[in-house]
Order: sequence, then C-alpha cells, then structure tokens
Amino acid sequence: MNDIKSKVAIVLICTILGMILAVQFKTVENTIGSGTITTQRAQQLAIDYKRLQDERDSLRNELDNLEAKLKQYEKGEAEKDVYVENLYRDIEKFRTLAGYEDVQGPGIIIEINDPPAEVVIGGESSIIVDNYDFILQIISVLNATEAEAISINEQRYTSFTEIVPAAGHLEINGVSYGPPFVIKAIGKPDDLENSLRIKHGLIWRMENLLNLDIHIKQEQNIVIPKYRKIKEFRYAKPVEEASN
Amino acid sequence: MSNQNNSGIIWLIILSILLGVLLSLQMKQNIDDYDLVSLKNIQMMKNEINNIRKEIDDIKELTENKKKELEKLKTVIDDEDEDISELLQDEIDKLKLVSGLEDVQGPGIRIIIDDNKDEAVVGEQINDDIVHDADIQIILNDLRKAGAEAISINGQRVMSRSEIKCGGPIIRVNGRSSAPPFVITAIGDPKLLYAAINAPNTHGWLLREVHKLRVEALMKDNVYVPKYYWAEQDFKYAKPKKEGE
Repeated sequence: MNDIKSKVAIVLICTILGMILAVQFKTVENTIGSGTITTQRAQQLAIDYKRLQDERDSLRNELDNLEAKLKQYEKGEAEKDVYVENLYRDIEKFRTLAGYEDVQGPGIIIEINDPPAEVVIGGESSIIVDNYDFILQIISVLNATEAEAISINEQRYTSFTEIVPAAGHLEINGVSYGPPFVIKAIGKPDDLENSLRIKHGLIWRMENLLNLDIHIKQEQNIVIPKYRKIKEFRYAKPVEEASN
Repeated sequence: MSNQNNSGIIWLIILSILLGVLLSLQMKQNIDDYDLVSLKNIQMMKNEINNIRKEIDDIKELTENKKKELEKLKTVIDDEDEDISELLQDEIDKLKLVSGLEDVQGPGIRIIIDDNKDEAVVGEQINDDIVHDADIQIILNDLRKAGAEAISINGQRVMSRSEIKCGGPIIRVNGRSSAPPFVITAIGDPKLLYAAINAPNTHGWLLREVHKLRVEALMKDNVYVPKYYWAEQDFKYAKPKKEGE
C-alpha cells in the first residue's frame, strides 16, 4: 500500500517537473528569440560582409591602377613643357592640401585604446567612443602644431571629415571602426609629440581621467592614404569676381 | 522489503542528480549561443554592411570619373591642336574650390555662440558658463555630419588643417585669435544644418538648454565664406607618396 502511494507521488512530481521545464524553455525562447535562426542570420551577415569587403578591395585596386595611369600621362606631358610642369606641380600641391593624394613624411603615430577590461564599468560601450570629442581635440592640437596631413584609422582627415559615434564604433568618413584608434600625423615629430604631452595636457587628461591606454611613437616615414570620396559642392558656389 | 525499497530510492537519487547535471549543461550551452549573437551585434553588422555598400558605390563613381578623365587626357594629348594646360587649369580650379582656397557663397546658416552673461553662475564652476574650444569642435563636427560644405569662424575658413584652440579668454583659429561672441557660418542644406544645432540632445542644444549659453542659429538664403589664407603655399614634411612604395 505504502509502495503504491510513493510511486504515484513520484509519477506526479515527474509530470510537474516536465511541465515546468517545458514552460521554462518556451519562455527563454520567446524572450531571447529563436536561437538557431539568429545564429544562421548572423553567419549569413558575416559572409555578406566578407564578400563586400573583398569587392571593395578589388575596386579600390582598380581605382589605384587607373589613377597611377592618369598620373603617368600627366607626368609625361609635364616633362615636355616648363609651363605645364608648373601647372602639374600646383595640382599635386592642391591635391595634397585637399587630401586627394597619398602622402608620406616624418611624423607621429598615436594609438588610443580602451582601458584594460577590469576597469571598464558596463557592457559593450567603449570609453574612447563615448568621449570622441577628445579625438577632435587631439586633431586640433596637432593642427596647432602645424601637422600637414592627418589620418584616423586609415581615413584621411579632410575638411569634410565627420566623426560619428554609433554603437561602440566611430564612423569616420562613413566607415565604421572600433577601438583601438590610430591617429597618424605628418609634421615635425618632436613638436607634435611634445605639444600633446605638455604637463596636465590632453594626453595626461585622457590617461588619468579616462584611464585610456595611449601610445605615441615618432617615425621617419609615415604614409597617409588619400581621401576616397567624391566631394562636389551642391550648395557652395565660388564668389564671382564681378559681383564684388 | 525494506531493503528493496532503499535501493530504489538510491537509484532515484542518482538519476535525479544525472538529470540535474544534464539540464544545467544543456542550459549553459544554449545561453552561450544566445550571447554570441545578441540583437545589438546583428544591428552593428548590418550597419557596417550598409557603410561598406556606400563606400563601394563611391569608389565605383570615382572610377567612372577617372576613366572619363583619362579618355579626355588621351584625346587632348593625341590632338595637336588642343592644349593640355587648359585641362590642367580646369583641374586646378576644381581642386582650389574643394580645398577651400576660393571664396564661396550659398545657402546655409549663421550661428552665434556667446558666454553666459548672467551674473549668477549656472554650473558648479565658472567654466561651465564659458564657450570652450571643445564645444566649438563638437559643433563643427555636427555641422560636417549634416553635410556642411564650407565653414568659417569669425571670418576664418575652417579647414582640415585649422586648429581651434583655447588661449585664455580667446580662441585661436588658423593662427589668429578671436574673442567671443563666435560667429560660425556654414554653407549647406540650411534645414539640416539648423537641425544639427537645434535638435534635442545635439551639442548646440545642450549648450543652450543646460549651460544656458547664448546659441542662436539663423537660416540664410545666402551666406559668404572666405577662402583659406594659405601663407606658406608648400609642404615642409608631407611629400606625395612615390610610386612603387
């Protein structure tokens, strides 16, 4: 008699356990979303991303080849005539100023990284992304020290470059980058580094108030890539001489 | 009888423990999986894919442009009557416009930013009532985000090479000092530019509503932005990258 009673009890408990488990799994699935589909979707996205990256790289190569060819022609013509040669020099100069030319020269490389993981409070946010205005300030200091060309993570800093924070990333010239951020500047290396490192200056504040991990090194030959976007003015028109 | 009952209970305990271990293992695995592909990650990935698409479009357009340029150059070189210098001069004019070496005008906005002139100090420190170089930099960044084509501060064209630096009571732009109030002029779509300063949670809004600074933006049909005064006209350090390096 006692035996039957306990067996019934066990059956009952097992049934309840099964139901509770089923309910639990259902709720988890409902709140997070179906696991298998998301994983597949993420993989699909990753594949797309890789494919697009490859496509971009090959297109970029094509463009570079084309530009090299164009340059050869221009240079070939320039050698024939002093006047044309001067014009060509001007073009090169203005291209460098506008950022449409790869440039190289001595300068410094600044690498900014988030603090080591233990110090970070909170999840996926990045301290340097949240405080992106410090990057703007670094650029300003570099410019004050007469940097001649600046890039952030291989994106040339031009008069139209915007820095937009978005979900742990910064979009620079419309391209997303996560930390670390590498700022390159061409100019007089000593001056550039010293102006950033003045006592209680910008770098000091970033290191001590934000705990960021910053490395600066001087180099004799830094290559800064060109700006790869078309900029055509839709609103701004040159002022006609006559109207003045 | 009691002996048999005991062994049954022992079996039950062993099986229950096994069930528990298996369940927890199963749960752990599932949760790991979910963690890897959070919704935020997917959103970020999508974002990046969109950006890269845009970049590809840009490169394609640029390639088309260059192809046309090359064609033109070839015909000019082949044709004895035409002069290549004209073509180069055109290119120079275009570059000068884009690089900010020309005075430009067009629709845009004018923004006036000034310190908080009230006697009472709003923030905890007097610093909160003053316009800082960082504030101006963020506002300029916001304007570029909104597609500003040309920007000047107190008559100084803002370029990629322009510094905006505090120097005591003044701010230096292009090596020239200017004191508040700061007048920022930007050419672009006036509505977009206006929104970049006035929409809630933009930096301009923050300065006005929280720090009580004077931030006024006016949409204009025609504003004038002067050219960048490029004194040295040359680069000391930056040289064009040589071929094959």
